[in-house]
This record gives sequence, C-alpha cells and structure tokens, in this order.
Amino acid sequence: MPHMITTMNNKGASLKGVLLVFLLISNMFLTKKSVTSLPICPSGSVNCQVSLGELFDRAVKLSHYIHFLSSEMFNEFDERYAQGRGFITKAVNGCHTASLTTPEDKEQAQQIHHEDLLNLVLGVLRSWNDPLLHLVTEVQRIKEAPNTILWKAAEIEEQNKRLLEGMEKIVGRVQPGDTGNEVYSRWSGLPSLQLADEDSRLFAFYNLLHCLRRDSHKIDNYLKLLKCRLIHDSNC
Amino acid sequence: MVYLNGQSPPGKPEVLRCRSPEKETLACWWKPGSDGGLPTNYTLLYNKEGEEQINECLDYRTAGPNSCYFDKKHTSLWTTYNITVRATNELGTNISDPHYVDVASIVQPTAPVDLSLEVKQTAGILYLWAKWSPPPLINVRPRWLILYYELRLKPEGKEEWQTIFVGQQTQYKVLKLYPGLKYVVQVRCIPDRGEWSEWSLESYIRIPKGQSAPGKPEIMRCRSPEKETFTCWWKPGSDGGLPTNYTLNYYKEGEELINECPDYKTAGPNSCYFDKKHTSLWTIYNITVKATNRMGSSISDPHYVDVTYIVQPDPPMNVIPAVGIQDGKPYLLVKWSPPPLADVRSGWLTLIYELRLKTEGEEWETFLVGQQTQYKIFSLNPGNKYIVQVHCKPDHHGAWSEWSQEKYIQLPSDFRMKDLIVWIFVGLLSSVICLIMIWMMVLKGYSMVSCILPPVPGPKIKGFDTHLLETGKSEELLSALGCQGFPPTSNSQDLLIEFLEVDDSEDQQLMPSHDKGHSSKNMKLVHKEMDSDSGRGSCDSPSLLSERCREARIPAPAFQTPNTGEIQENFAKNNRWEMQSTKVEGNVLCSNTSSPKSSTWPGAQLLNNQALKFSCPNNADDNKRNTGSMNRTVVSLLRGNEEKHQSRYSNTIETISSEKVDKQEEMQNLHSKAGQDAVQLLSNEKSPFLPGKLLDYVEVHKVNQDGALSVLLKHKENSGKTEKYNNPGISKEYTKVSRVVDSNLLVLIPDARVQPTPVFQEPPQEPAQSLQQDQAEKNMSYCLTAPIECKNQTGGLDYMDPSSFMCSFN
Repeated sequence: MPHMITTMNNKGASLKGVLLVFLLISNMFLTKKSVTSLPICPSGSVNCQVSLGELFDRAVKLSHYIHFLSSEMFNEFDERYAQGRGFITKAVNGCHTASLTTPEDKEQAQQIHHEDLLNLVLGVLRSWNDPLLHLVTEVQRIKEAPNTILWKAAEIEEQNKRLLEGMEKIVGRVQPGDTGNEVYSRWSGLPSLQLADEDSRLFAFYNLLHCLRRDSHKIDNYLKLLKCRLIHDSNC
Repeated sequence: MVYLNGQSPPGKPEVLRCRSPEKETLACWWKPGSDGGLPTNYTLLYNKEGEEQINECLDYRTAGPNSCYFDKKHTSLWTTYNITVRATNELGTNISDPHYVDVASIVQPTAPVDLSLEVKQTAGILYLWAKWSPPPLINVRPRWLILYYELRLKPEGKEEWQTIFVGQQTQYKVLKLYPGLKYVVQVRCIPDRGEWSEWSLESYIRIPKGQSAPGKPEIMRCRSPEKETFTCWWKPGSDGGLPTNYTLNYYKEGEELINECPDYKTAGPNSCYFDKKHTSLWTIYNITVKATNRMGSSISDPHYVDVTYIVQPDPPMNVIPAVGIQDGKPYLLVKWSPPPLADVRSGWLTLIYELRLKTEGEEWETFLVGQQTQYKIFSLNPGNKYIVQVHCKPDHHGAWSEWSQEKYIQLPSDFRMKDLIVWIFVGLLSSVICLIMIWMMVLKGYSMVSCILPPVPGPKIKGFDTHLLETGKSEELLSALGCQGFPPTSNSQDLLIEFLEVDDSEDQQLMPSHDKGHSSKNMKLVHKEMDSDSGRGSCDSPSLLSERCREARIPAPAFQTPNTGEIQENFAKNNRWEMQSTKVEGNVLCSNTSSPKSSTWPGAQLLNNQALKFSCPNNADDNKRNTGSMNRTVVSLLRGNEEKHQSRYSNTIETISSEKVDKQEEMQNLHSKAGQDAVQLLSNEKSPFLPGKLLDYVEVHKVNQDGALSVLLKHKENSGKTEKYNNPGISKEYTKVSRVVDSNLLVLIPDARVQPTPVFQEPPQEPAQSLQQDQAEKNMSYCLTAPIECKNQTGGLDYMDPSSFMCSFN
C-alpha cells in the first residue's frame, strides 16, 4: 500500500500541470466579462468582503471547470468501457438527483425565484458530496482505469466542495439570515458500484458519470443564468 | 511514278473482318484503299486450304457494300479460307494482304429477338418474367450452335445497368424490383466459341406499385438552435406502394407516458419541431418514428436525445470587419452579434466564437475568439483583400454553427508608411546636405563668398597720410591724393560747387556720351519747375567743373545744382520725383551731400555757407533745411531696396576686410547709417529702381576755388566693385572724404553717429540738436559732423562687427 500511495503522489504531481492547463483554458473561456475588480480592502477593515459579482464570477468559473472535467471523464469512460453495451438505453432510468425538482427549460429557470434557484443549486451540490466521495475510491477498482479518470474524479470531488462553499457564501449574501435547510437528495448507489458483475458495475459507473455530467452542466447553466440575472440585470 | 490529274492506281484494300452468324454462312467486309481518282473495281478472291484453285466471290450484295457473302454452299466448316481483295482501275491493280478465316472461330450470332416482359406476383412478391427467342437464322433445334444468354435491365432514365447471366434458357425471373418504376430490358447471346451478339432491342415494362408495409424509417438527426427548442428529421423507408403515414413518438427518461410529436409542419416534411413547452434539458428523449400504411407499419430504431448536446446555433450576424490603426500599424477589427435566436443575455446560453480569415486563394487562418463579439487581428498584410467569417458554438457542448456570410475587407496599402519613410529620408538627406554646405562655408566661407561675389578691390591711396587730415591742412592732403586738378585752394574762385553726381544707370556708366541726353531730359523736368526758382541755375558753374577736372565727360552739371532747391519743393508738394528717372535722384543725392561735403574740408567750412548764399538764391537757412528734407527724400527713394543693399554691403565689407581695416570700418559706418535710414523711412513709398544702379561710387570731379568738391560717377573698369562699395554710402550722405584712390577716386563715407567733437567750431550746437531731433535732422547732423567723423575713423572707433553682416548674408 505505501508503494501505491507514492505512485499516486507522483501521478498527482504530474497531473497538477494538466490542471493548470485546464484552468488556463477555462479562464480563457470565461474572461469575457469580468464583473468587477477586486474590492479595495483597507487594512483592518471589518466589512471588507468580496463583492457578489466577484463571487458569482468565481462560482461560474468553477462550475464551468467542473462540468468540463465531468464531461471529459464521461467521454473517456464511454469510449473505453461502454462501447457496444447499450448503456445509454438503460441510463434513461434517471439520476439520484431527479427527486430535486429543477427547472428544465429556460422559461422555468427564469420564472423560478433566484433564491429558490440558488437553494436548488446548493441542493444538487450537496447531493453530490457523498457519491463523489465514493466515486473517487471506487473508480480505482475499475480494471485498468486510466489515470486521467482517476485524477478527474478526485479533482471534481475537491472542486465540488469548493463550489459548495462558495455557493453557501453567495446564498448567505443574497438571503442573509436564512441559512437554508440542508435539502439534498440522498444517493444510494454505492452497492451498484461494488457489484460483482462487471457489466452491471460498469453500467453503474456509466450512469453515475452520466448523471454527474448532467448535473454539473445543470449547475453551470443555472449559475450563469443567476449571474446574468443578479449581477448584470439579465443583460450579459 | 507520277500520274497527272491526281490519278493513280487504286490504293491497297484491307480485309476487315469475316463473321459467321450461325456457323453455316460467312460474310467478309473490306475497307477499300484510295481509288486513285478513277472508278475502281473490287474483286474478292479466295482459295481454300490445300487447294490451288482461286475463286471469286459470288455474292457482293447480301452483306452490304464492300462485302462478300458466302452462302451455305460455299461455306465450309472444315477448312481455312485465304481471302484477298483486289482493287482495279484504268491505271493499275492493288491487292490486299491475305486474310485467313476459320469459320468455326468467327461465329457471332445476331441478337436474340422477341423479348417479352411480364410482371408476376408469387406469395406477395413481385417479379419480372422475361422471355425471348434465339437469333432467327440459327437452327436451335439441332443444337448445331449452343448459345448462352445474358440479360440486363435498369429503371428508365438511370445510367447503370443491372446485368444477369441467364445461361442457355431463353427466359428469366427478375426479383427485387422497385414498384412504380419503368424498367428497360435487353438480352444478347454468345456461342460457345465466338463473340457476343449485339444487345437486342429494348423492351420496357412498368412495375406496378406493390401493396406492402412501408420500409423502416430512420431518424437522421436532431438539432437545437438555441437550447430552447429542437427539431428532429427522419428519412422514410419504402412506402410499400401505398400512402404511408409517419408519426414521431417520444418519451422522456423517467416517464412512462409516450407522447407524439407536437408539430410536424414547422420544420418541413419528415420532421418534428419541439417547441419551448416540449423541450426539456437534462433529460433524455427516447424518440422513434413509425411509418404506417394499409399493409402494415414499421418503427425506426430509437434515437436518444439530450438537448444539451444537440445545440448548434445559427451563424453569428452582422459581421463587420473594419480597419483600425494602432501605433501606426493597421489592424483588422471584426465585430459581430450573436445569432438572433440565441438568448445570450440571460446567460441561458453561452456562446464562444471562432473567426477565420484569408486572402484570395490562401488557406484559412482561424482564431478562437472566446465569448467576445469582436476581435482584433494584427500582423496582416497591408493592401490585401481579406475574407472574414465567424461561427459560434455553445461553451460546453454542441456543434459549431455554419460560417457566417463572407465579408470582404480591403486593407489599406502601406502607402502612408512608405510615403512617410520617403519623406523622412528626403528630409534627412537634405538636412545633411545643408549641414555639409554650412560646414564648408564655415571652413571656406570667405573664399566661397569671394568666389561668388568677387572682392571689391580696396582703393589704393598713394601717400595718404592721416596726419595730414588731422592737422587740417587740406591742401597738403589733397595734393597727397594726387588729383592734379584737385587743390581747390589754388583756385581763386570763391564759389564752391558741392554736389555728388551719382547716376545708377548703366547706360550712363558705360556710355558717358548718353549722359547728357538723359540729363537733358531730366533737365527739362527740372527746368520747368526751376522757372519759379530764379537764380538757382546759377548755383552751379558747369564751366568750372569742366575746367577743373581732367575728365571731360561730366554730365551737364548746370542743372544739377539747381535741382536741389527744386526737388525740395517737389518733395514738399508730392513724391512725384520718386517716380522720375534715377538721374534725378542722383541729382538729388548730389545736392544732398553738397553742403555737408563742404565741411569735409575744414578750411572751406566757412566758405561753404557763403558759397551757398552766394550761389543760390535761397537763403542759407533754407538751404540747411532743404538739405535735411532732401536727405529724407533721397533715402526714401532707396528705402524699398534696403534689404538688397544690406547684402551688398556685407559683400563689400567682406572684400574690403581683406584690404584695409579702415575701409571696412568706414563701410560699417555707412551701413549702420543705411540701416538707420531704412528704419526711419519705413513709411515711405517704394523706389522703382535697383539699388545697384542707384549709386556708383563717385569720382572727384572738380574742386572749385572754395574747396568745394564735385564728384562724378566712376565708370568703366572698377565700376563693378566700387559700385557696391558706394551704394550704401550714397543712400546716406557722403559727408566726408575718406581718401582718394588712384588719384582720381574719392572715397566718401557717411557720418557716424558719434558725438561731434569740437574740432570744427562752425556748427557746434546744431549737431547736438539734430541728434535729438527727428531723423531728417539727424541726417543733417551727419553732414555737419562729417569732419569729426574723419578723425574718428582714424581712431577706429564705433564700428560694427563685420560678422553681423555675415549673418544677414547667411
């Protein structure tokens, strides 16, 4: 096991470079509208805080990045393990976050109150805490799992926590006092990731990655919508 | 051999081929050679293998022209024929190469006949039943000749034939036909040894439409232009010959309910449009298309759609390329707007853009822009015409849109830059040249100037002694000057005729004889007005002048003196005189200087006044005044050319500088006076004459008894240089005699501004006053103080620095 850890560390180190590249790319995509400049914080100021626009800017960049990673991970997995297995037909069963009723089109997304939408984002993010944690460990058991998938799982898990942190801050800023009830959808898919049957197990992974890709896109889309609505008055 | 009229024996014929359609008869065809311009007869000759006898063809008609038909009797299956063709005309005969024929190997049947087609159906399957007959001449029954058949068919209007090898049978069932199409069918045959016959005549048949279930449709693709709606298109299968209905069904993941397409029309035939209400994201659509007709139905394979991944926006709009300039370099600024359908503002859809551009005939160069809707491109080739296009794509998934319309932009050529460079180059070059020139002038300035403007030879004064001047012994001085007729004191006459006659006209200088003519003209003018002035004419004494000076060519001085008063009057009235000839001016100058000049000689000072009184009717007071006013007017005449004078002065000074310092100083004085006058007379009118002509240096013409000095223009040899020298001086008042040159030349200098020293007592107070008074009087004061100036000169005081003239020159 120690040997295993050292190799992992090495890999992690090499992957940090890749992460940097990804960050740069994602920044490139998102540098269009820098919302506000950093607030000037007088030293010792009590009320010094990052502006809401800046918070949203960072959140959107993060969500964009997470979705980019989850899409890549899904595509890699799909290419490597799902070819010819018809997983897509079975994936219609839905995701564990389906219990959270989220807007499904633009009209719904625009009609929903932004506080509710923020809470929904929080809910979805929280719902992925547990499965992402397990994914990072379970994905290592996949036969010949490529490093890129392993690394992405860990990266997504970490970034998801960061995004959740940031979103809690944003929610606290938008609706101060109301910390919000900790609504989230419970995931019960761990056993399926540990199935003995490889085909079923791979499908469980496939479905999880598929749902991760979908939800990360959902969050990214909601956040971009919220940013335009709250910061730019729907005029991005 | 050469034949006339282009006629010749026939060319060599050639046996082309021999065919036996059924192995029982034989036909041969040949190609005639040239007929030699004459009627030519062709004969086919043959002999059979092993036979000596040569036979001729019996039937030239049956198989057409240039052919021979061998009927059954003459066709032998067991032998080889040696066939030749002979062409004959009047001039000769030509025979073809022999052609060997084995009948069994040259069989080519004619095409099968009687092809009939029929559509039949067995067990619900349509087929085509084709029948035909063997070539008519062939006796099929004895199986003498075995024929194999081939059939080909195609739908009418298409290019590709479908060919089917049938075998020996003369009928065939064709399956897999498309209902509703009209088919073309042909057959041909081939013997076991021999060649394929031609294709039979075409037969046509229309396959009636079948009545079967439709084929399976196929969903081609789905696309959402803005992540709010989407459309799916399918390709129908065969319709089974019946009207077929298509329905699109879908269900979303997690839903049991199967829905049908909400809108078949909006997106055209074989499509389904999902409007906003029916479009959900983050869910998978399971879509199928079902084709149905009377005979049955078929369902396409399911198509899974997640709208997120099928977004393909419309191309961006309003792509506007423009040329801008930054840091002097042109760049291309391209602006565009997102496709109108895409709701970018709300953040629902985020688009990224890509731009490409190329010049004509070049490869596209692509730039990933990101989310901006404008882009600057630098480092383009100026003068080129670029084609610009933009397309867009959602930020994560989906497909790139089509490229926008091509926009053309002509980049400005480098013209401005090149022009600027050229001008900078020219400017640098010229400044360098200027610097070099200035440098050269600094180094060789004097020699260059003297090269351009020859130096004024310094007057050579023999035995000039300044001490004589200082001591005031004018007689000694004058004698020292060497003018034979000069000692005025020796003359007993008390009359002093003082004037400087200066004439600037070249005519006068070169042709003294004309002087009189000119003078007489002037005289007329003068005399007209002189009439009122009685007695003035007596002021001058031409006889004296002529007597005292060796030079006989003095322009009639008689009228010159009277001019003084007259001109004064004229000026008092108007400036008409300025417009008169230069000679008049010369006269004026003479008169100007006259009275001061008398003061040059101290001894004559007193006499001067007397002489004025005596000679001129005007009283002495007037005379003084007059001279003052005259000064003014004279200078005014010169004023217009003052600037030119300046340069001349400096030139003169330059040349003089190489000579005596004294001279130079004198000139400086003169010049400074001239400058003063110029300033003073700015308001005066222009003078119509050239400065150079105005004044020649003067020649001492005569000294009368009173010591008055008459001066004449010096012409000839020295004129070029001395002219210049004197120019400035005459524009002033020549109140002093500086020295005498070459025994005949008297150098005059103007008075300096120096305070008169009391050497000469005569007008002690007047100079002081005049200095403080107006300029006219100042000029007067020069006259009065002239003698003092002489003294000053020797002391070398109060002179201007020659370098100042150089400045003005440069």
